[in-house]
Amino acid sequence: MCASERNLVSNTVLHALRCSLATLVLLGVTALRAQQAKPAATEGTGETQEDNRALRTREFLGLGRMPDVKMAAEGAKIFGPNCGFCHGADARGGTGPDLLRSPVVLHDNQGEVIGSTVREGRPSQGMPAFSSLTDDQIRDISEFLHLQVELTANRGTYKILSVVTGNPKAGEAYFNGTGKCNTCHSTTGDLAHVGSKMEPPDLQQAFLYPGARGIANGGSKSAPKATVTFPNGKTVTGMVKYQDDFYISLYDADGKYHSIVLDQGVKVQVDDKLVFHRQMLDRYTNEQMHDLTAYLVTLK
Amino acid sequence: MNLGHVALLFCLWLFLSPGLLLAQGLDPQKLLQREPTDTWPTYNGDYSGKRFSPLTEIRAENVRSLAVAWMFRVTIAGGTMRGVGEPEIKSTPLLVNGILYFTIPDHVYALDARSGLELWHYDWVDAGGHLVGNRGVGMYGDWLYFLAPDGWFISLEAKTGKERWRKKVADEKMQYFTTAAPMVVGNHVMVGVGGDAIDVPGYLESRDAVTGELQWRWNTEPKKGEPGSETWPNDAAMAHGGGMTWLPGTYDKDLNLLYWGTGNPNPVVAGQGRAGANLWTCSIVALNPATGKLAWYFQASPHDTHDWDNTETPVLFDAEIEGKPRKLLAQAARNGYFFVLDRTNGKNVLSKPFVPLNWSKGVDANGQPIPDETKEPREDGTLMTINGGGGTNWMPPSYSPQTGLFYVNATLGYSLTYLTDTSERPEGYGGSGRGLWSQHVLEALDYKTGDVKWSHSYTDDPSAFRLGGPGILTTAGNLLFTGDYKRNLIAFDATTGNILWHFPMLRSLGNGPETYLLDGRQYLIVGGGDTLYAFTLVPAR
Repeated sequence: MCASERNLVSNTVLHALRCSLATLVLLGVTALRAQQAKPAATEGTGETQEDNRALRTREFLGLGRMPDVKMAAEGAKIFGPNCGFCHGADARGGTGPDLLRSPVVLHDNQGEVIGSTVREGRPSQGMPAFSSLTDDQIRDISEFLHLQVELTANRGTYKILSVVTGNPKAGEAYFNGTGKCNTCHSTTGDLAHVGSKMEPPDLQQAFLYPGARGIANGGSKSAPKATVTFPNGKTVTGMVKYQDDFYISLYDADGKYHSIVLDQGVKVQVDDKLVFHRQMLDRYTNEQMHDLTAYLVTLK
Repeated sequence: MNLGHVALLFCLWLFLSPGLLLAQGLDPQKLLQREPTDTWPTYNGDYSGKRFSPLTEIRAENVRSLAVAWMFRVTIAGGTMRGVGEPEIKSTPLLVNGILYFTIPDHVYALDARSGLELWHYDWVDAGGHLVGNRGVGMYGDWLYFLAPDGWFISLEAKTGKERWRKKVADEKMQYFTTAAPMVVGNHVMVGVGGDAIDVPGYLESRDAVTGELQWRWNTEPKKGEPGSETWPNDAAMAHGGGMTWLPGTYDKDLNLLYWGTGNPNPVVAGQGRAGANLWTCSIVALNPATGKLAWYFQASPHDTHDWDNTETPVLFDAEIEGKPRKLLAQAARNGYFFVLDRTNGKNVLSKPFVPLNWSKGVDANGQPIPDETKEPREDGTLMTINGGGGTNWMPPSYSPQTGLFYVNATLGYSLTYLTDTSERPEGYGGSGRGLWSQHVLEALDYKTGDVKWSHSYTDDPSAFRLGGPGILTTAGNLLFTGDYKRNLIAFDATTGNILWHFPMLRSLGNGPETYLLDGRQYLIVGGGDTLYAFTLVPAR
């Protein structure tokens, strides 16, 4: 690996580290909030939702202690020049093993296992002893490695990189042309400022299918409207509260609650406003989808 | 020899013969029986994975008279489990001599099958691993086998729940997790593993039923230079592993072959560092149960980048193809394809999507799907025609020899898939996904053509999400038992798909329903959330 390549890798790692630092500092704040026994905010800003996702995922995975991001940042500086030559600046291996799935790293808690390996080296496998590193330096290196593991293993920390790659002009043409989006929607009406209301990945998901799971800050969908027709021809129309194959309940226009067992002959007609969105999912090309995203994010 | 001597010798013989001494143990012959009616001795009821019962006391004409005989609710300290919330029964209980043995992660229970009374409860304190589910126990004579989530393979005395020994089979610090139901074949206990957060290799172990010692280990990835290694770009990529074995397989005693599904390769989504088919991930493999030697393989998703774990049950049945009797294996795979293979040699008989999908361009000469590279995950998102979690998942399907139909709880849908790690050497998942519209559908597939003979779309929230789902049982009473995603346990006419009966439980069906005869009466056992329900026909008195 030539020097410039090494720098490139180091810069990438440092960039990733900076981004991850921000995430993990936020994570720490969220964790503190949770410790204070206040209900953690799950609605509201996308940021908070993502932090919760990361925390929930690490709990699900049974990952250990949260790495200390400040120590990890110090550790990155020591790891690069001392260890990166063999293990790669990102610790994903080079001439030496990939440390993200090293039993030494994964069995370590606070440097006690990593420390002895680093200090004693593994002469039989060509790893020299780094006996001059201080306890603090070893601890920092350990935190750096644990952070790399965290950012790999905890998929709740993953960020969608960029969804805005399309051509906004083409997206606008599609919106008003082939896509016929303007039949129901208006960029000065219901979609006014949508580009500043939602993060691009949420916006992309939401225009494809509003109300899909996991959309932060928007994309909400109203309860469907249904009409129930009885065998005698009588009908009830209202907003559906609950529906399965056997039973439906709804609120009519006066707010009156109706609970109906779907016996033989009782028919339900659901007014699915999103049917066109669903049909479009078979029609979009990837390019059209990205062009539309690129256009909608310009609606600031 | 006088009578006293005979009696003494008989007592001595009883004492020395372990199978008879503990009269409540599992007769090993029962495991070899096809479609047993008085026991449910292994995860799928028998080795075939059909989940078909020849019992007819409960049938289409009287299923409306089903009533709850008893309920048993699991209660755990704190009420919720780490990372997953309220406990959910995903295991299929074993029924052996009037006792039910079932699990949730970290817990094993023994119940009196007549009353639902708890006989004992084994409580494990884990040091990690996923609590996403536990599929149940395996049994050999008087002993049970259980996998704790953190890689411990534990044997219990069935009579008392007392631990006999424990063996470490997977390292939870390396992000392995263990949720499978151990599967007993002869004196071999098959132990599968899970794991995908860290790039670790998959394997299947055979452990000695008496001692728990390792008999063999089959590795999902070949070693350097071995056959299959040519499907990886280099040894480093191959070392990232994957191909987990987290659901129980099936077994054909005549062919003496074990059939197992393997999971996705690692990194899960970011495939740029592992060009090639990546054997033996996302495959169905046939292994010799005594040696672990690979007899044949069929790869359902070559070079998978969509998390198409191919662990779904490989169902074994004998039926005609073009007028000739054949030994078949059928699987409704997570990747959306319905596969039928000749289980003697792995040769493909049928490959046909059972849900609309666009990740594949069709199949090759061997019937293996060809991935469409334009549907690979991208940084800016790729629109997929298929539900993000796949066309189906781990929940048990069923095959009824009476109708010749293969039944699967499928999900239709659309989703987005994203590449989040664009480096040359990605690691972990390296990507993520987002759901769009989806729809849960029960499908009855013709095994000869893959055509949907009938289907039922559950009335559901179009973007509902649940990890897992309801399993299926069919019976000679022309019945199909399963559940929707809204608490209802449902009995369908297996031939027509008409709904005959339903029962709203406290929570949705989360395991595979089972049935057996006890005291001459047919029982139906299902898990709805944290509660086990036993149904019988309304008794005469």
